[in-house]
Amino acid sequence: MRFTRGIIALVITAGVCWRFPLFHVVTRKTATAENAATTFNARQFAETFWTKQLPASLDKTVKAAVLLSAIQSDVATAKRNFSRSVGLSEGYFYFVSGTGRVVAVLDDEISLAVTAGSTNAEVSLQTGLIFGNTLRDGTGLLNASDYPNSQDFNDIAAALNHIVETRVLPKLRGQAKVGANISFVGCTEVDDESADLKPLKVVPIQTEAE
Amino acid sequence: MKINWLKLAFAAVLAMAALRFTETATAQAAAKQKIAVVISTMNNPWFVVLGETAKARAIELGYDATIFDSQNDTAKEAAHFENLIAGGYKAVLFNPTDANGSIANVQKAKAAGIPVFCIDREINSTNAATAQMLSDSYSGCVKLGQLFVKTVGKDGEYAELLGLVGDNNTWNRSKGFHSVVDRFPGLKMVAQQSGEFDRAKGLEVMESILQAHPNIKGVFCGNDSMAMGAYQALVTAGKADVVKVFGFDGADDVVKSIADGKIVATGMQFPKKMAQQSAEFADQYIKGKRDFAQKIPVPVEIVTKENVSKYGDYGKK
Repeated sequence: MRFTRGIIALVITAGVCWRFPLFHVVTRKTATAENAATTFNARQFAETFWTKQLPASLDKTVKAAVLLSAIQSDVATAKRNFSRSVGLSEGYFYFVSGTGRVVAVLDDEISLAVTAGSTNAEVSLQTGLIFGNTLRDGTGLLNASDYPNSQDFNDIAAALNHIVETRVLPKLRGQAKVGANISFVGCTEVDDESADLKPLKVVPIQTEAE
Repeated sequence: MKINWLKLAFAAVLAMAALRFTETATAQAAAKQKIAVVISTMNNPWFVVLGETAKARAIELGYDATIFDSQNDTAKEAAHFENLIAGGYKAVLFNPTDANGSIANVQKAKAAGIPVFCIDREINSTNAATAQMLSDSYSGCVKLGQLFVKTVGKDGEYAELLGLVGDNNTWNRSKGFHSVVDRFPGLKMVAQQSGEFDRAKGLEVMESILQAHPNIKGVFCGNDSMAMGAYQALVTAGKADVVKVFGFDGADDVVKSIADGKIVATGMQFPKKMAQQSAEFADQYIKGKRDFAQKIPVPVEIVTKENVSKYGDYGKK
């Protein structure tokens, strides 16, 4: 009788475990493939953004000469008319383009005079290590609300910075000779108006020697 | 005139019943709507400020507000959500315990028609919460990373104290910091351990790091509680003047320590600003607004000895 009960209990337990397995065996190869499929690839995303979405939006910039003139007249009006900001930030960004004459070549920046007749450094193209979110947030093309995990969104910033450092800056450094004319497209982040506007610190996206 | 006492008594009873009914209805109409404030832990002064400020602003806006302490436990957090859904709360101001583990709770509230506004910590979803107000930890720690290199130098050993490993803020801070520091090959991270955002744990971890790596020049801490613990360990080891400590949060005791030259810098997160805004969002939702941005970054400012006079009381003076 006791033996029969034991057998019945064993059969029931086996049945429950078969219907609701306590664990699944997955091969390492399958698990790695599944994980890769669900993991956000920031480098791949940045590459697509850089080669497809961004080139189609380069005409949405404000011209540097127009912006500099507006800033000269009234910083607040220039901000209202041409900038964008994210979230509750008091800082803001400009997506800017223009042409300028190289007036200085320093270790981490190339200074340009942009307005007619100027010999002052009005725009500073950043050519050192690129950190932060200036490129990601400056164009207005990418939005934090589209990313469930903010780590993915932040990884995009690092991936875009890497593209600039490896593709844009080497060419720019080769072009930068005092007196040369350089056209550029890039983004500016303004955290501190007393330090970030004169000159405009621009992280370059595209440059050409003219 | 003959008085029918029976009819008169009946009329009196009816009148009293009608009066009582009217009083009850009026009292119910006047009862305040309720807002829940669910906080990951109230065992940390920064989160106490976050919770208390959210509650105070909700009360100012005319609501009854109650704080629920999840004690960094997703099970307790889930129980709070069950209770607040059953309790008729109209909105939740929510500081999640776990970016993934807290999603189900928010979804339950959403299914019950209760909006949830995340504060400071996010959940890994864009369709569960009504809005999420998040400190831009990554950008803040990029700036701290730059300051770290400037202060500690481009060579030498350093350590990092991480927060809770399940929290996105932990990794956003760490990644922001490393996006800068890792570009300098001379800087070697010799230890990276979790202090769980806790002062006592930060002290304990720092003590063991110092035994194994006595030559470190700096320590980057994922929050201010751990920074205070790390600093205490350095004082005990007689290394407080040698090892540079960096925190993150903008807690009052760390801001004072920066002024005293004990800690180098922290990232000010503005908990009061986030908490007040979340209560205002809840009020706007209850009054009919629906178009909220899903993720709203809140900037972080770096507090150093040079600008510390501008900061205090968990924000800008």
